[in-house]
Amino acid sequence: MTESPLWPLVVYFFAVIALVLIILGLSSLVGPRSTMQRATIEPFESGVVGIGSSQIPISVEFYLIAMFFVIFDLETVYIFAWAVAFFELGLFGYLAISVFILILVVALIYEWKSGALDWGVKKRVGLRE
Amino acid sequence: MSGLQLQALLPIITLSSLILIQMMFIAFARNLRLTVSISVIALLLTALSFFPMVDHLPISATPLIQLDGFALFYSGLVLLGALMVTFLSYDYLRDQGERQDEFFMLLLLSCLGALILVSSNHFASFILGLELLGVSLYTMMSYPTRGLFTLEAALKYLILSGVSSAFILFGAALIYAIEGKLGFTELAGMNHTSAASGQFILLMGSTMIFAGIMFKLSLAPFHLWTPDVYDGAPAPVTAFLATVSKGAIFALALRLFTTTGLIDLDPLLRGLSFVAMVSILAGNLLALLQDNVKRILAYSSIAHMGYLAVAFVVAGKAGGQIMAMEAASYFLFAYFLTTLLAFSVVTIMSIADHEVDTTNLGDYEGLFWRRPALAAVFTATLLSLAGIPLTAGFIGKFYIFSIGVAAEAWLLMAFVVIGSGIGIFYYLRIIFAMTKAPRTDVKIEIPTASGWVAVVLTVSLVLFGVYPSPIIDLIGELMISFG
Repeated sequence: MTESPLWPLVVYFFAVIALVLIILGLSSLVGPRSTMQRATIEPFESGVVGIGSSQIPISVEFYLIAMFFVIFDLETVYIFAWAVAFFELGLFGYLAISVFILILVVALIYEWKSGALDWGVKKRVGLRE
Repeated sequence: MSGLQLQALLPIITLSSLILIQMMFIAFARNLRLTVSISVIALLLTALSFFPMVDHLPISATPLIQLDGFALFYSGLVLLGALMVTFLSYDYLRDQGERQDEFFMLLLLSCLGALILVSSNHFASFILGLELLGVSLYTMMSYPTRGLFTLEAALKYLILSGVSSAFILFGAALIYAIEGKLGFTELAGMNHTSAASGQFILLMGSTMIFAGIMFKLSLAPFHLWTPDVYDGAPAPVTAFLATVSKGAIFALALRLFTTTGLIDLDPLLRGLSFVAMVSILAGNLLALLQDNVKRILAYSSIAHMGYLAVAFVVAGKAGGQIMAMEAASYFLFAYFLTTLLAFSVVTIMSIADHEVDTTNLGDYEGLFWRRPALAAVFTATLLSLAGIPLTAGFIGKFYIFSIGVAAEAWLLMAFVVIGSGIGIFYYLRIIFAMTKAPRTDVKIEIPTASGWVAVVLTVSLVLFGVYPSPIIDLIGELMISFG
């Protein structure tokens, strides 16, 4: 590894800080000042006026489905990786991915039976009263 | 892959397939008693599956897993801890409402992670085991719906644990950048081979890994999460965190740093001595200020991890390695028994309370008059934690002391002595509180399973304190086949 000089990095570092200071300083010096008016805190000066808050309650099922999607979607990544190298991995790879898919299937059956895939009112499977 | 190698993977395969079977039972026939029975069977079968390979040690199955006497001993400890915690959590969760079955599945998964950790010989299996252990643990912490404190504990542990995992990963990446290898055995002696510029990056990498491990072991100055998490988490989960999780990570750290020879790095060793001293002092001093049994136990565990770190330091000095590993293993064995017993008492006290665990020192006042047996058991554990003779804790501390003297680490020994001296005060404070006049006459029910756990642990605590040679011989035999 050849030693490259360090000073360009230092210059770069200070140039970045100077650039930020110039931009912020110029815009505060030169830019127009607005006093607090009726529409100052609204997101757009023109266009549709915002209504209500963005924090509305969302049904918990959406989160569940999103989680399942992420889990199973991520697992297809591993299956893809195996499929690309199918011939190289041979029988051992086939057995390994079969075990992997078996575990996935078991997890899916579990989700199904415990009512995680039901929408709306839960069936309350196997619960003690 | 040969038959022998497959045999070495047998415990992991057994436990994984039994977890799947348990999952199916939960899905189709949800019954808490059945689930717990499967858990117990799974743990026992896994323990049995270690026996066929005892004569063939050490075996390395795939580059990831290395099974030797060391791994075998710690696997036994992990399984013992998980079994005890299973019984405790059964009593703890039984009357907490519906859907408690999955907790036991998470417990087994966590145990699987710990088993992978103790026999891991590669950074990939290290991270895999660590995350399997950790992710199940966060969920277990927040599992019982007992107020907000469980959630607080789980969230704190999740975030800080995630940060420390990131440190470990980055450290491993730095080592990989210099050496191009990830297996512990392949990395052996690397700090002697690489050039000076590489040396520095290696030191950076190993320090980062070390910081991550110290966080998980709650060594000062990485201990800030410990009291809150111990206090907030349900008592059986705290027991699991304090024993199985820390024990497995300690075993891994010992293997990682001795096989790769990183322990010979001088700055690292000096940092470790510093950490050991600070932990002993901080743990013991801060425990003096607490009025909460779980927090006292949390600070006392910080101090105990400090004593263990002393063994680690000695392992890095020339010639002391095998002896230090034996000492650390016995100390950890005693720590397992004692901590499990302490938390089983806290669990028994907390079962009746559905909001938070019973942990205030005031709640333990008069325990000697309300439940003499329970108070006697708690006294035994506290004496063992303090290192009073006739308990396993004494032999453990004595072992640490003797290797410290043999390695002539006088400064460290001074700290161990001072720490033990301070420690006696707050342990005796709990015992003193138990002898006061009782505040209430509410009867404390002792459930069957937890009661038996306490009995078995107390008997072994005293037995191995009076007659420790079977365990010492076993450890000596198993450590020979290390590496």
